[in-house]
Amino acid sequence: MAVLLWLLDASLASEESFAAMKESLNNPVYKFVLWGVLAVLAYHTVAGVRHLTMDGGVGETLKGGRLGAKLVVLLAIVLIVLAGVWIW
Amino acid sequence: MVTAVTSFGRSGLYDWLIQRVGAVVLTAYTIFLVVYIALNPDLDFAQWSALFNQLWMRIFSLLALISFITHAWIGLWSVLTDYLTNRLLGAKATVLRVVAQMVLGVAAVTYLVWGVEILWGF
Repeated sequence: MAVLLWLLDASLASEESFAAMKESLNNPVYKFVLWGVLAVLAYHTVAGVRHLTMDGGVGETLKGGRLGAKLVVLLAIVLIVLAGVWIW
Repeated sequence: MVTAVTSFGRSGLYDWLIQRVGAVVLTAYTIFLVVYIALNPDLDFAQWSALFNQLWMRIFSLLALISFITHAWIGLWSVLTDYLTNRLLGAKATVLRVVAQMVLGVAAVTYLVWGVEILWGF
């Protein structure tokens, strides 16, 4: 959250800080940190959508639960890889 | 061990609902920003600050910020009251948990003030 707020702050504060932020995101360490943040966010979001789906009574059986868990991991991996492709 | 007194809505049902409404807002905000940035690969400062200059975007952003804080508070309250328990750690567990929650509270206020400053300060 702090990383994302820092990015928003830098991107909106001024034209110079926007450019400086863009420049600093070329740094592989910053890229990796941003990827880490997006990866956590992607997994949490996908798992959260599953949670709300199950709140709605869908996929509540043992079979459905197992399938849902696998789908979450699979979809999260796809999104995390896509995020990596996007950043690099 | 008293735990409900530090929950967000002082009722499990309120917390449940606030948690989920916040989750939907955060998902919508995340998808919106990811799609917006992905569709504008040559995004420059003028376009970006024009987006955040609009009232609806500021409302959307503030809503997401408030949702984040409540969502995190409720979620971490669940985790802390599950794992920092007297049964697991003895009498010091409650002190430890309340200290952790104070740190989280300070973080929440910090994010709120910082976020408002970002949104209305440029």
